[in-house]
Amino acid sequence: MTRKLAVPLAGLAALAALPLVVTQSYLLHLVILILFYVALTAAWNILTFSGKVSFGHSAFFGLGAYASTILLVKGGVIPWIGLLAGIAMALIGALTMTVPLLRLRGPMFTLATIAYGEVLRRVAIIWRDLTAGSEGLTIPFDPGFLNMCFTSKAAYYYIFLAFAAVAVGISHWLYHSAIGFHLRATASDEEAAQALGIDTNRVQVVALMWSAGITGALGVFYAQYVYMIDPDLVFSGTLFAIQPALNGIIGGLGTVWGPVLGAVLMTPLGEFLRSYLGHVRQGLNFFIYGMALIVVVMVLPGGIISALAPLRSRLRGAGPRSPGKDVA
Amino acid sequence: MSDLFLQVTVSGLLIGGVYALLSIGLTMIFGVVRIINFAHGELMMLAMYLTFWLHTAHGVDPYLSLLVVAPAMFAIGVAIQRLVVQPILEAPALMKVFATVGLYIALQNLALMLFTADFRTIQTPYASASFRIGAISVSEPRLYAFLCAIVMIVALWAFLKFTLVGKALRAVAENRTVSALMGIRVSRLYLLAFGVGSAITGVAGTLLLPFSYVFPTIGSIYTLVAFVVVVLGGMGNMLGAFFGGLFIGLVESFSGTYVSPAIKEAAYFVIFILVLLVRPQGLFGMGKGSEEIGLK
Repeated sequence: MTRKLAVPLAGLAALAALPLVVTQSYLLHLVILILFYVALTAAWNILTFSGKVSFGHSAFFGLGAYASTILLVKGGVIPWIGLLAGIAMALIGALTMTVPLLRLRGPMFTLATIAYGEVLRRVAIIWRDLTAGSEGLTIPFDPGFLNMCFTSKAAYYYIFLAFAAVAVGISHWLYHSAIGFHLRATASDEEAAQALGIDTNRVQVVALMWSAGITGALGVFYAQYVYMIDPDLVFSGTLFAIQPALNGIIGGLGTVWGPVLGAVLMTPLGEFLRSYLGHVRQGLNFFIYGMALIVVVMVLPGGIISALAPLRSRLRGAGPRSPGKDVA
Repeated sequence: MSDLFLQVTVSGLLIGGVYALLSIGLTMIFGVVRIINFAHGELMMLAMYLTFWLHTAHGVDPYLSLLVVAPAMFAIGVAIQRLVVQPILEAPALMKVFATVGLYIALQNLALMLFTADFRTIQTPYASASFRIGAISVSEPRLYAFLCAIVMIVALWAFLKFTLVGKALRAVAENRTVSALMGIRVSRLYLLAFGVGSAITGVAGTLLLPFSYVFPTIGSIYTLVAFVVVVLGGMGNMLGAFFGGLFIGLVESFSGTYVSPAIKEAAYFVIFILVLLVRPQGLFGMGKGSEEIGLK
């Protein structure tokens, strides 16, 4: 057990020292963004253990961001308590989503999730009394730990680093827990899993709750990082539903490390494309993303991690390892 | 019945005709190729931009531009089937979905690159003209759109019913293996189905443009509309898609008038979920292969 933990802990320690080396604001921002997407993609990916793919996680993200920000701006509640409220709101949102989750399979569920995220964005625009509509809400700049508001980027870096570690840790723990095995059994054959006595409904709901809860918490941290939220930002399907899904699919759906790899590779690439090609032509970066997704589906349906698997087992030698079962 | 009620019903049915056409395009592609096309609304968006471009750059009347738009969209559909769908036909349903999602992201951003995020529309002499029938007024472009849509739907129905190719298409929708055994070239008919489905979707886009806006992200709204209609009418069921289209037109018209135009997407979503809960096979029975795509 201690040996198993040694590598991740050493990695975390190295990452914790990073702000001492990286002092450029833009670079640090990029690293924060990578950590953010690692956490978001890992959270999104937990649901895919069950074989169900959501393109509507922006709903949970936005619910979290709005819950804490409304409490802070209108009630003066500190964001650390808002964090709990954000998670609670995301869980309530997830309860609504259990209806399509348990009723629909495959593409139809995915479609329902897109509609769900889109509807919440509309509601946030229309419900002006609560959300201030499209004008958005601004978080007052009042530095201090209690206010989750900092002058140095490094502080945010540590928050997102800690949270990315928590998200990946939960994902890893769930994957290898009894629930993870039940989920993967459900993903490969729901009827067979039921015949074996697995309560497939329960495990799917559990996966959705973890997935949504972490996503909601990220919405809170994100709102505190950017100070200004509006419906088109925090309920953005492109940024918080499609992007983690792209990372996950390209990295390797339904595995623990595939989505992490996907987020680490795709975020800097996306930023690079956005800052260089975005000036040339608006939209060019996402055009390339869309094409990349088509190509990955065609040539590498298991994601990048599936291409690395043979390499990894060779490095490890012929140890008694069980081959990981991939979804899809 | 009050005049307002009658007025709202008429405008709902008129727009519903166009939604029916859009949805028949989706259900045609689904019924034959058995792929859920998440880029369906984007096909419509492309056709709208094509119509816009033909009108602003070359002064072509939108209804005349159908002669260009329909064949162009047919070609685009065939190209998508050949280059994107054909290579992954045997992949699991979710993988096919990811490919069409990739397509939807690519097309949406292609439009952003070519036309920017501005809302665009075309000015025609008849854009705001209307006929008066008794106490209600009927907008001219909406009436033309409805009539064109009906003509297209009847023509498609006759094609499927009476021609040999149409019969072969229906045979493939029924059972692709047996069709192949009967000597039908299934992969060619897939190309045809995707082409025809895209072409009629494109026609729906052209018909909408004289009285609505086009912008790069408009496709996702119409993808949702088409899916709600198709789920309502039964996946793969053309007649169901027709009545489903009219029904969604009415829903949009009534919710827009009596509640708020901003909630129409929410209304679609609620209907979508309700149908799936109460009658997942749709109001008119499900087409073949619905279990493959997640309808129990």
